[in-house]
Amino acid sequence: MQRPPPILILLVAFCVAIAGTFIFAFRAGRHARRLHQEDEPIRPWMSVPFIAHTHHVPSAALFQALGLEPQPHDRRPLQRIAREQHRPVEDVVQDLQRALASAGHTHPAVEPPAGKAP
Amino acid sequence: MREQILAALAQYGAPALFAVTAIASIGVPLPVSLLLIVTGSLVAQGVMPMWLAIALACGGSVMGDQIGYAIGRYGGAALVSRFSGMLGGPERMAKAEAHARRWGGPGVFLSRWLVTPLGSLINFTSGIAEYPWMRFLMWDVLGEALGAILYILLGRIFSDRVLALDAAMGDFTWMMLALLAAVALGWMLWPYVRRTRG
Repeated sequence: MQRPPPILILLVAFCVAIAGTFIFAFRAGRHARRLHQEDEPIRPWMSVPFIAHTHHVPSAALFQALGLEPQPHDRRPLQRIAREQHRPVEDVVQDLQRALASAGHTHPAVEPPAGKAP
Repeated sequence: MREQILAALAQYGAPALFAVTAIASIGVPLPVSLLLIVTGSLVAQGVMPMWLAIALACGGSVMGDQIGYAIGRYGGAALVSRFSGMLGGPERMAKAEAHARRWGGPGVFLSRWLVTPLGSLINFTSGIAEYPWMRFLMWDVLGEALGAILYILLGRIFSDRVLALDAAMGDFTWMMLALLAAVALGWMLWPYVRRTRG
């Protein structure tokens, strides 16, 4: 089989690089718009004060929703809280979502942890 | 892995930041940009002072980079070829080595904060190409300091939008890589175009 001329390979690679530039620029722009539009999803690595900060609610309300004593320096991630309360982390997230909703925040669908998506 | 690393940062703060940036700079694929952005958010929340966050992120990264450089320089051919398999194969390593020789200091500097996916490759290849260590260290410290300040500051400004910011920065980095590739390929194509027109 005859190899394609080098210019053809270069031309195809050039077109792919140009297309990639536009595709990633578009995606970056779309994510940048999200910066002003949506609340952050809740992830198992986040701590209660972190979630309170990203949703602009007092952390005490979220600690209470999980049946915990409000402590601003308690920075345990949700996955550890769930383990200590012997329940799935999804339950903990749902409790927090309810607490955020009652505090006047509508919340985006909770994304599964990275690498575990279907 | 990503969840565990971010959980460690949220809970332990400074030591986790230093350890993860150092390990990632050696070449282990860890979510460093998100880690730095979350660190910026923790700074905004008053968990960590800004100067400490920048010093630890920069210090950890520079330490990891020096290990990568030393592996390339003193590790021997067998060790280098083993790492090359992990990092995209000998062909990609050869390209990065050529890049290290050709671009030297500015290449080290830009790969610390602008085209970060090339960072650990350039550490190895700078060592293999025996790029002078003091010059490597100088460009490395400058680039890592700028990268740490940039990402942590952005994380501090958008402290309530860390995931969206990380996604935007990730795509921006790939856009810059694609643009660099397009410019390089355009440069290679230019003689053909001139010959056709002439």
